[in-house]
Amino acid sequence: MTITPAPDVLTAAARHHPVSGSGSPHPHAVSFRHVSKRFPRDGGTFEVLRDVSFDVPAGEVLAVLGPSGSGKSTLLNMAAGLIAPDGGQVMVLGHPTDGNVDWSRLGYMFQDDRLLPWRTALDNVTLALETGRTPKAERRERAQSRLALVGLAEFARSFPHQLSGGMRSRVALARSLVTEPDILLMDEPFSRLDAQTRTTMHEELLRIHDERAMSIVFVTHDVEEAVILADRIVMLSPRPGRLHTELEVTLPHPRLGTKEALELVGELRAAIAGMNADWVI
Amino acid sequence: MRAPTETPVKTPMRGRVALQRTALLVLFILAWWVASLFTPVYVLPGPDRVAQRLWMLATEGDLFGNLFTTLVRVLAGFAVAVVIGVPGGILLGSNRALGAFFEPVLPVMNTVSSAIWAIFAIIWFGLSPLTPIFVVLMTALPLIITNVWQGTQAVNADFVELAHTLRFSRMRTLWKIYVPSILPYFFSGARLAFGFGWRVSLVAETLGASSGVGYRLRQASDLIQTDQVFAWTIAQIVMMVIIEIGILAPLERHLFRWRRDVRT
Repeated sequence: MTITPAPDVLTAAARHHPVSGSGSPHPHAVSFRHVSKRFPRDGGTFEVLRDVSFDVPAGEVLAVLGPSGSGKSTLLNMAAGLIAPDGGQVMVLGHPTDGNVDWSRLGYMFQDDRLLPWRTALDNVTLALETGRTPKAERRERAQSRLALVGLAEFARSFPHQLSGGMRSRVALARSLVTEPDILLMDEPFSRLDAQTRTTMHEELLRIHDERAMSIVFVTHDVEEAVILADRIVMLSPRPGRLHTELEVTLPHPRLGTKEALELVGELRAAIAGMNADWVI
Repeated sequence: MRAPTETPVKTPMRGRVALQRTALLVLFILAWWVASLFTPVYVLPGPDRVAQRLWMLATEGDLFGNLFTTLVRVLAGFAVAVVIGVPGGILLGSNRALGAFFEPVLPVMNTVSSAIWAIFAIIWFGLSPLTPIFVVLMTALPLIITNVWQGTQAVNADFVELAHTLRFSRMRTLWKIYVPSILPYFFSGARLAFGFGWRVSLVAETLGASSGVGYRLRQASDLIQTDQVFAWTIAQIVMMVIIEIGILAPLERHLFRWRRDVRT
């Protein structure tokens, strides 16, 4: 493998590719503008993010790629409105996160499936709709159709402990999709699955993304996963997290195992090696 | 449709357990009967005599009336303990300063014997139904508070975070996340409290009541009607077994059917 300095990655992979507007009123689903963040630690503070700016164009799958300590989960939590930036601004669907964002238009998928063990698969999916407005019959109907979408219609009445890791992950995906979000935030959602199941989930996610106009922000430390999924990759360097590289990926799907995808993975890994970070690749 | 890992109920196993239980019961009654052959009737009446007495109490006597009276008192004391203990346990669990402040109260309450509560109750309420109710309450309350408190500590912070991302209100988070997480702890505490409550209610009734199983037990023992003492004892054991098998065990099985079965 050749070690290429970062700027070469940009020229090699950033092929021009106009982003279609897809009729959305907001050009960007999420915008990070000069975002910085510190957390208190051991009496002092610890800088997590420094001056990070990038946009998530509407309808795109954007992968935030970075080693641990690059603050990628923090970025996601900012987009979800769970954490406020110390400096800069985060805009969601054209509104600042400290303003009036319609949070029901966001879905969130965690690193673990986070299913409530006392609820059946169906009731875990309806949970996302239990904020008062949707009548019960409609909640169940929508949850059932979402379970069908991820191929689990027959397991609606199963409890989480009766399901395999991949099935649980699908239930979690169904739960984050049942509100029909415009933006899906995903925090390494498949990192705990075995390689084969992960590949299936990637195909599933891309199929669902094709079917509905939805922006996805996908946080991962797995270079291959980012290349397989993303229309755009934002790479962060660690401690503090800074924007290292932003590039568009225009390779046709499916990408798994194709020569071009492998080349791009190689280039990105080379860039990471140049980053001098303890990144497991 | 069954999920792949769900195991069907094994009926042969259940049949064997029932057989074992019956054998144990027969063995016990046999030993009792043999022992009674060599002892005076006022020390150890035989099973036949006790059965006769039990039948008399049930058909001509006040067996069911007194069982019912005692049960209502236990339930009353238990209900008050739940009404105070559940919000109390949640409050202590959700407020660290409050919890730390009141922490010593529970072990101290647990060290006080139910006989002492009964004596206090007699001083305060006299020979009245309030006496056993009070004793049940004071015994059940620390058990319920402790368990609910423990339950609040066991609530998974990840689930609370999930509720945040779904923009649940505090009330909704309490209801959808906290309550189901605490329920198993509450249930085991309530079960313990109910069993303890039943036992101490008898103590309270022997000391300070003019009706109920405990009162009738003491009366029979005062008159050296040992067969009646045995009859009342058996009647109350049978009632508790029926409540356990008929109500509590199925309820627990239904409420916690989502749990992975750890028995192998």
